[in-house]
Amino acid sequence: MKKLFFAAAFALGGSGAMAAQGEPIEVTGEIIDTWCYFSGVMGDTDAVVGSAHHTCALWCSAGGIPVGILTEDGTVYMVVKWEGNASVADGVALLDIQSHTLTAKGTTYVRDGINYIFVEDVVADQGIVNQNHEDFGFIPSGPVLKTIKGKLGQ
Amino acid sequence: MMKRIVGAALLALSPVLLAPVSAADFSEGSQAKNWPLKGREKAKFKAKVVDAVCHLSGDCPADCGGGTRQMALVREADGVFLLAMKNLQGQFQGANFDLAPFCGQVVEVDGLMVGDDPKLGGKLYQTQFINGEKAFGFTKPWKARNLEAGKKKGAWFRNDPHINERIEKTGFLGLGLETDGEFIAEELE
Repeated sequence: MKKLFFAAAFALGGSGAMAAQGEPIEVTGEIIDTWCYFSGVMGDTDAVVGSAHHTCALWCSAGGIPVGILTEDGTVYMVVKWEGNASVADGVALLDIQSHTLTAKGTTYVRDGINYIFVEDVVADQGIVNQNHEDFGFIPSGPVLKTIKGKLGQ
Repeated sequence: MMKRIVGAALLALSPVLLAPVSAADFSEGSQAKNWPLKGREKAKFKAKVVDAVCHLSGDCPADCGGGTRQMALVREADGVFLLAMKNLQGQFQGANFDLAPFCGQVVEVDGLMVGDDPKLGGKLYQTQFINGEKAFGFTKPWKARNLEAGKKKGAWFRNDPHINERIEKTGFLGLGLETDGEFIAEELE
């Protein structure tokens, strides 16, 4: 019987029929690269946000790594839709908002402990508020500085 | 009769579906590479490939968006929904173009469960292998979308025209070219 339960849920999961009502939400936070933030691959969480990490955030967003909204209390909402566009991983859609602090209205869903958000409307965009590059330098310094030197012909 | 069975199954399942990701061990047989990531756990399992928007809202294109939507996995053993964060390539590539060709199919994935942030109520997933093949699927479709840049030597992220357009406008810090120039001069001293 247990197998039947999981089989039913599993079959429905792939068809989209698991879809349930989301909750409306208005959220203010910083647009972040969630892989660097949660995996620790580039350092501590304070360093992998803001202007210090802006170039890496561009690279990851263009690579299709999930983008999130990090709120003041540390909650992260995984962005899977942006102003009606579900193609958020097309390498272009979210580039212009990387590292920005903004306020967005949308719908949130929670699945297995992770928050997801469908952003419907950006109410306010403050640009890059978290200017932490003086504290951390470029993150990751090696790849960013190599890129800069390449552009400078050094 | 079948409707009743499925209904009863879903009702009985609801606490399971709402529960946080279980601490179940899926490491048996895993050949995943041990990247130095927070909270990493090797995990090899069968899962249905879905796109996240489809799973959450029922908006389901037949091809899962062809790599442009955020992809996810629904684990066969327990129905847990896992966002696919990263593939096996080491240069800022996600796993969407690796997984999209398997849209709606059950595959065997091998990789790492990742994350131990107290604000994160579950784990995220790095897909390293799909049906035993390395998840190296980003580069080919990137080259197809960026024909000129794809011919250039060097890493994709240094040649991507969309990234470079932003950096040329607002700099590596995103704060404008003046701030950028001053800071770069300090960093290169």
